[in-house]
Amino acid sequence: MTSSEATSPLARLGRILAAVSTLSLWLAGIGLVAMTAMVAWQVFCRYVLNDSPSWTEPGAVMLMSWFIFLGAAVGVRENYHLGFDVLLYALPKGGKKWLRMISDVVAFAFGIGMVWYGSELVGLTWNTVLPSLRISGGWDYVPLVAGGVLICLFALERIVLRLAGEPIDDVLDELPPAEVAAELDTANVKA
Amino acid sequence: MEMLILFGTFTLLMLIGTPIAFCLGVASFATVLYLGLPPLVVFQRLNSGMSVFSLLAIPFFIYAGDLMVRGGIAQKIVAFAASLVGHIRGGLGQVNIVTATLFGGISGSAVAEAAAVGGLMIPQMKQRGYGADYAVNVTSMAALIALLLPPSHNMIIYSISAGGKISIADLFTAGILPGLLYAAALMVTAYFVARSRGYPVEAFPGFAAVGRFLLIATPGLLLIAIIFGGVRSGVFTATESSCIAVLYALLVTLFVYRSMSWSDFVHATHGAVRTTAMVLLIIGMAAAFSWLMAFLRVPAALIASMNAVSENPLVILLLINVLMLFLGTFMDMGPTIIICTPIFLPVAMAYGVDPVHFGVIMILNFGIGLNTPPVGAVQFVACAVGKISVWEAMRSIWPFYLAGLVVLGLVTYVPAISLWLPGVFK
Amino acid sequence: QTVLKSSDTHPDGYPTVEAVEYFGELVKERTGGRYAVEVYHSAQLGEEKDTIEQVRSGVIELNRVSMAPFNGTVKESIVPALPYIFRSEEHMHKVMDGAVGDQIKTAFEGAGLVALAFYDAGSRSFYNKTKPINSVADMAGLKFRVIQSDIFVDMVAALGANATPMPYGEVYSSIETGVIDGAENNFPSYDTAKHFEVAKHYSLDQHTILPEVFVMNKAAFDKLTPGDQAIFKQAATDSVAKQRELWAAKDAESRKKVEAAGAQITTPDKQGFIDAMKPVYEKHVTDDVLKKMVADVQAVQ
Ligand code: NA
Ligand code: NA
Repeated sequence: MTSSEATSPLARLGRILAAVSTLSLWLAGIGLVAMTAMVAWQVFCRYVLNDSPSWTEPGAVMLMSWFIFLGAAVGVRENYHLGFDVLLYALPKGGKKWLRMISDVVAFAFGIGMVWYGSELVGLTWNTVLPSLRISGGWDYVPLVAGGVLICLFALERIVLRLAGEPIDDVLDELPPAEVAAELDTANVKA
Repeated sequence: MEMLILFGTFTLLMLIGTPIAFCLGVASFATVLYLGLPPLVVFQRLNSGMSVFSLLAIPFFIYAGDLMVRGGIAQKIVAFAASLVGHIRGGLGQVNIVTATLFGGISGSAVAEAAAVGGLMIPQMKQRGYGADYAVNVTSMAALIALLLPPSHNMIIYSISAGGKISIADLFTAGILPGLLYAAALMVTAYFVARSRGYPVEAFPGFAAVGRFLLIATPGLLLIAIIFGGVRSGVFTATESSCIAVLYALLVTLFVYRSMSWSDFVHATHGAVRTTAMVLLIIGMAAAFSWLMAFLRVPAALIASMNAVSENPLVILLLINVLMLFLGTFMDMGPTIIICTPIFLPVAMAYGVDPVHFGVIMILNFGIGLNTPPVGAVQFVACAVGKISVWEAMRSIWPFYLAGLVVLGLVTYVPAISLWLPGVFK
Repeated sequence: QTVLKSSDTHPDGYPTVEAVEYFGELVKERTGGRYAVEVYHSAQLGEEKDTIEQVRSGVIELNRVSMAPFNGTVKESIVPALPYIFRSEEHMHKVMDGAVGDQIKTAFEGAGLVALAFYDAGSRSFYNKTKPINSVADMAGLKFRVIQSDIFVDMVAALGANATPMPYGEVYSSIETGVIDGAENNFPSYDTAKHFEVAKHYSLDQHTILPEVFVMNKAAFDKLTPGDQAIFKQAATDSVAKQRELWAAKDAESRKKVEAAGAQITTPDKQGFIDAMKPVYEKHVTDDVLKKMVADVQAVQ
């Protein structure tokens, strides 16, 4: 890589988005661990303290929607969402590229919807109060908005890279089908 | 027209390879725009479709599975199964199925199971001269045992889709005998295929060795007792049991086997995040899609047209099974359960089928669908591990399909296979 | 013809579903077929929290929901949810048909809704699998599942019992296996959810007599001509009488059914329960509006 490439705005943006994606994945992982702790605490309190906290159930559910939307956005960047790839494998490279382009535009458009209508839902429910958690009901929809922002960013990155002629689709063709990658990572462990 | 937009957009996007989650979401979005409804309802359904406490079982069971594989619990179960049944004809195929059965008792995800058991077994089988297609088909079909044996988060999804009025403990119990029957049918099939192909047997290591391997595998296998015993004795709820599985897997790998490194832990956690985000995003989007189906009164129309075909419960059940097999061919398990339960369960109940029994039928049916292209997550995983194409696997999968369909037929028409055991526990 | 869509979480044939269908028939008849109502029962369109957002944003026009989900939005809805605020169902009818009921109806407009009617949901009582409840002392240490509502959680705590969070769908098996001892509800729910099979001690403590509410999207209501608005309001009022009749029959039928199935119904001394509710009132009846409403309710004879 030459120094001019390394400092090109596109490459710099790519590095920033890579960092955002890694950060999202780590936050999501921490969310999963925290969720485990929360439900375990619920069981512990019921049996040992004989006093169940009423916030663990809604709290764990809210953490779950955070880590799903963060993880789903990372999935757009890493392309691990489950899809029906048969036609893609049958098509020549040029055609494939355009079908993948459509899919990325679809994801981008849906991300816009998540941000727009998610914000509307936050507004609609902002004056309600969630029982037990005692925070605004609008928080239910904040992960939706945040996930939408990230999905837009990551889908847009793929669109821009493809338009700039980057070979992002060639890399995909050599990988196993997207949906398998996540589990294969688990399968390829020390035997 | 609105039906055409809903199903047409979905099919079109799916054909061009758009992720299923976005196919469901965008099809719902387009339909809502056409109907002139406030589009925010699509995003509300997406959000609340996945914000359900009982769905926590999915990330937890997937996480527990990943931790058990990363932390070496699965490998010890394979070693025990190998010592136990390796000497039967097609030995490693039998080992694969017994491992899947034992692992299925502690994991609820067929995809995770195919990755775990396949990752350990398929390379060994290929090395010992088994055809890659045989290894892959045994793995993918045996992985479905995880769906039937408790814990099974798909049964939880079913219970939620049915309005939450079906006992999860009963569903868990009801899946045990069908799961074991299915495992037995696969073992018989694997035996005959292995014999016709002249596959080897392993030497029997002696009862002392079996005992030793069992002892080593016991901390992992104890999870079966903890989950099933814990739910049945009321120590925790079905959802909580999935969280306990995570804690237990961590405990065993960190302190008993001491085989979990920090990087293993991070890998397992990130793997679980990726898989769950993928699965639950589809479930959320499917909630929007099925909201529209309810809004457009699709289930009622379908019930009416089925009633027109026949009034005979046996025929109706056959019809439902064929329809579900067809849908399962094209769709993934979670969303299919969410979409089909409100449609088919009332029909089945109207013909006197017990909802617990129907849940078992549905899970086995859609499970087989996980092994049928074009959308078959378990088959994809097994093929990727075995490094063969889906089409290569398809050439010799038929005896295993037949075994699956025979068991499906038995489970459908002999309710006692599912309902006897829950009755015993009452 | 304009078809208005209405949601209900209860199954087909339930008194609230029937009442809204009756409302629809009246509206259709009195507007000469210009308006009709289609009821989506059995939570087909979602759970109450979700359908409330749908009716507020105009996805659907009508909705029959319980009052508890509004406690965080419409503070006046807290009053009927308070334990032992009503002395009897007749008292509740008088209050909700009177000035306090009108005050609550007006308050719903702040959430973008027109409250058309209040429907009966009977009285809620505790049931458990462990022992018969004859006094507050018997409640000590028992684990109950309650709805996600701060008032209910605090009420259970004030009685010395343990409120355990849990999704409704897991209640049956959790009582069966002993994760919890019981739950609380009216007779028809105790019956249809089959909880009587696993928790046979039903103690008629009647801690709340919480009516349900039938709401309409305010923008949709404002679009009606004044004449049609009057027709809608009258039809809703007429459906209330019908619903109360259906409810009473359903309540009696369910009670008979669970008793025949072996449920043990006890009538505990209510005064002890009423006295134990003081901290709940202190915590939730904080501002002057609510204090005045509570006094008004108590003044209704
Ligand atoms: Na399982
Ligand atoms: Na399939």
